[in-house]
Amino acid sequence: MEARRNSYTMEVEAPSYRGAEAYLYHASLLGHRVLVKKRIGKRYRHNSLDEKLRRIRTLNEARIILATLAAGIPAPTVYYVDPEEAIIVLEYIEGKVLHDLIEEKGVNDHVLTLVEKLGYYAGVLHENNIVHGDLTTSNAIVSSTEVFLIDFGLAERSRDELDKAVDVHLFLRSLESAHPEHVEALYKAFIRGYQRARGKAKAEEVVKLVEKIRLMGRYVEERRLVWGKS
Amino acid sequence: MGVAAIQSSCHPDLKQLYPRLDWDKEVYVLGIESTAHTFGAAVASSQQPFILSNTRSVYRPKTGGIHPREAASHHAKTAPEVIRSALEEAGVTIKDIDAIAVALGPGLGPALRVGATIARALSVYYGKPLVPVNHAVAHIEIGRLTTCLDDPLVLYVSGGNTTVTTFAKGRYRVFGETLDIALGNLLDTFAREVGIAPPYVVEGMHQVDRCALDGREILDLPYVVKGQDVSFSGLLTAALRAIGRGARLADVCLTLREIAYSAVVEVAERGLVHTRKKQVLLVGGVAASPELRWRIEAMARYHEAVAGYPPLEYSGDNGAMIAWVGLLNYMAGLTVPVRDSAVKQRWRLDETPIPWR
Repeated sequence: MEARRNSYTMEVEAPSYRGAEAYLYHASLLGHRVLVKKRIGKRYRHNSLDEKLRRIRTLNEARIILATLAAGIPAPTVYYVDPEEAIIVLEYIEGKVLHDLIEEKGVNDHVLTLVEKLGYYAGVLHENNIVHGDLTTSNAIVSSTEVFLIDFGLAERSRDELDKAVDVHLFLRSLESAHPEHVEALYKAFIRGYQRARGKAKAEEVVKLVEKIRLMGRYVEERRLVWGKS
Repeated sequence: MGVAAIQSSCHPDLKQLYPRLDWDKEVYVLGIESTAHTFGAAVASSQQPFILSNTRSVYRPKTGGIHPREAASHHAKTAPEVIRSALEEAGVTIKDIDAIAVALGPGLGPALRVGATIARALSVYYGKPLVPVNHAVAHIEIGRLTTCLDDPLVLYVSGGNTTVTTFAKGRYRVFGETLDIALGNLLDTFAREVGIAPPYVVEGMHQVDRCALDGREILDLPYVVKGQDVSFSGLLTAALRAIGRGARLADVCLTLREIAYSAVVEVAERGLVHTRKKQVLLVGGVAASPELRWRIEAMARYHEAVAGYPPLEYSGDNGAMIAWVGLLNYMAGLTVPVRDSAVKQRWRLDETPIPWR
C-alpha cells in the first residue's frame, strides 16, 4: 500500500494489526515512527453505504483527535488525513494495551491508578463535550505511567449528559464482558478519576444516568419498578 | 405443524460441547415453547439422534402484528394436539419422560403463561420435575448442537431480540445489543406500515428483502452503531418519513435492510475481533434470512473464522431447543419447584446460570 502526499511516498509494511474496522500499518514518515490506519471496505456492506461510512468516520476521527489533543489528553498526534482513501497517519504509541495488562496481572495498585487516570481523561473529554463512543480497556494504551486514548472512530461531539453517560455505560459493559471478576474495583477507580475531572455533582449525575441506561436495556427485571416509581 | 429429527452434516461431540455432564445416562425431556407466536413441543434425548420430535403451531395474525392475548388463546387451543403429536412422533409416552421443560422467558406475558401453566400441570399430575429454560439460551444451544461450533461468537436476531453474546466465565455475556427495537421488529413494522405485510415472509424471504430487489439507490437514512450497540427506532421513523415524502418504496426497502443488516454484522464483527473467537453462530428467526447469512459468512471469512447457522426448522422459535436445554439443565440438576415457576418476561440472557459448560 502507498499513501501519497504531494512530494514523497511513504513506505508501508504489511499490516501489523487487523482490527474490526481498520488495518493498522507500521511506517516511517520523515524519520518518525508512525501508524497508518486504513479503514477497510466491507464486502457485507453496499458499496455506496460503505464508502460514505468510511469517509465520514475517517474525517470525524481526525477532527476529534485534534480536539482531544487540544484538551490536553494523551492521544496519538494526527500527521495526515485522506478521507477518500479512508487513511489517517498517526503517531505511534509504544506501550501495552490496558486490557492485556489487566488480563496478565489482574488488579493491583498500578492497574487501579491507570484506570483512575483513564476515568480522569474520560471526564476531561466530557467536559470538552466530546464522547469517545468506544471506551474500553482495549482502547487504552499504557506507556510507562501514562494512558493514551486511542480509536476515536466512533467519537462524537455532544453536550448531552445522556450521551456522556452512554460512554461511561459502555465502559462498564466492557468491564463486564472483558474482566467480569474485577468489575467493581475497576469501575470504582474509573469513577474516582472521572469525578476528579468533572466535580462531584456532574459525576454523580452521570453515574445515576448510567444506572438508568442499564434499566433501559431489554429484558431487565428491575425495569418495571422504575416505571412504577416515575 | 412439522416434524423432523436433526439432519445435520456435523456430528456433535457432546463431551466437548457440554464437558460437565455425564452422557452415559439415558434421559428424555419434553420441552414446551410459547414465548411469542409459536406454540411448540418436542422430545429430546441424551442419546442419538438427540431431538426425537419437533412439532409446532404458529399463530399468524391476518392483519397487524402479534396480539398477545390472541396468541395466548391460539396456544391454549392448539397445545394438546401439539404436545400429543410431539410424544407420538418421538415414539414415547409421557411415562417415559424424565422431566418437563418450559421456556419461562423472555417473551410476551400472556403467551408465556399458557406454556407455563400446561408444563406445571403436567409436572404435578405425572410427578415429573419441572425445568426452567431461558428462550435465548435455547436458541444458542440448539445452534451449537446442530452446527457443532463449540465456542462461537453468537448473533441472536429475531422479532424481539438483537444481541451479540459469547460464553465467558460461567455465563453468556452480552457484548452488544439493540438499545431500542429488535431487527425483526424493525423489518416487520416497516413492512406492515407501508402495506406489504402480512404475510411477513414469502418463500423464505422477508417482504422487505423482496421489495429491496428493485432498489436502485441508497438513500440518506441514519446508520446508528454506538460502540457495541445498535439502535433502529430512528431508522424506522426516518424510513417511514421518506415514504411519506414520496421516496421510491424499493429504494427505502433497500436502504433500510442494507443499513440494518450492516449494523448488526458490524457489531458482530467488533465482538469477534474483541473476543478473538474463531467461530460465528447466527441464531433466531432472522437467522433464516439468506441476505443476513451471506453477510455474516463474508464477515467471518474475512477474519478467518467459521460461520454457521442452524437448519431452518431450528432457526425460528421451536420446542426442540427448549427440550434440549431442558435436558441439559435437568442433567445438571437444575429444576424449579412449581410454586417458584413464575414466568419472567424480561429474563436476561446474562442472568441465566449455565451449569453445563
